[in-house]
Amino acid sequence: MTEPEQKQVADRLKQSLVPMNLELHRDLWPNMLRRIDEGARNRQWFAVLFSPAALSSVPWFDWALLAVLVVGICAFPKSIPIWLYHF
Amino acid sequence: MNSHPYLRAYMAGTAVPTMMLLVVLSGFLIARHAFQIPIPIERAIIFPMALVPNIFGVWNIFYLWLRPRPHLPIGLHGAILPFILAPAGFTLATFSGFLSASSGGLVWFHEVVVPYGLLAVGFLFALIAYYLVWKYLVGFFNEVLGIA
Repeated sequence: MTEPEQKQVADRLKQSLVPMNLELHRDLWPNMLRRIDEGARNRQWFAVLFSPAALSSVPWFDWALLAVLVVGICAFPKSIPIWLYHF
Repeated sequence: MNSHPYLRAYMAGTAVPTMMLLVVLSGFLIARHAFQIPIPIERAIIFPMALVPNIFGVWNIFYLWLRPRPHLPIGLHGAILPFILAPAGFTLATFSGFLSASSGGLVWFHEVVVPYGLLAVGFLFALIAYYLVWKYLVGFFNEVLGIA
């Protein structure tokens, strides 16, 4: 194949291919946000509340307070009805 | 979801004590029938059933109202609530006839004696419990309802 023929084939190939659109017609980020939101909505609230990620974000100080609370109730179990009354 | 934020705050606030009501009622029944503590359930349930959830809801509305102004974090905001609820609960219990004062301390349900010295400790525990409940549970429901 001669050089002009090669050029002709190349031109025809270029013409036959659909030109690529480098710019997106729409913003994909809102769709992405919607999908993330749907994923969160599909999860049970109880699962979200006690998920490992949520539990690991609790600071040690709050765990210590919870431990104090549990120990206090165990040390004085007769106070349980009073706790229940105040809740 | 920007409409009726105070209604949503009320609903988020009442959610926790309303769910707890099952635990409260079960606890009262177990205490009365299994441990023979003479709890007058029909009178004792008034405070946790009628007042506490409503006060939680109103307190959460107050928190939402404070949001644009200088305000405490939600845990500390909730920890203030025992200062209102404890006197209200004591008053109602006294008038309902299941709380009385004796020389040894306060007598709950004609059975459980809480020495006066332990009252302060108990109140401190209530502050801790309310702090945790508001920070993690009410805060979570606020988030779910889009008002966090």
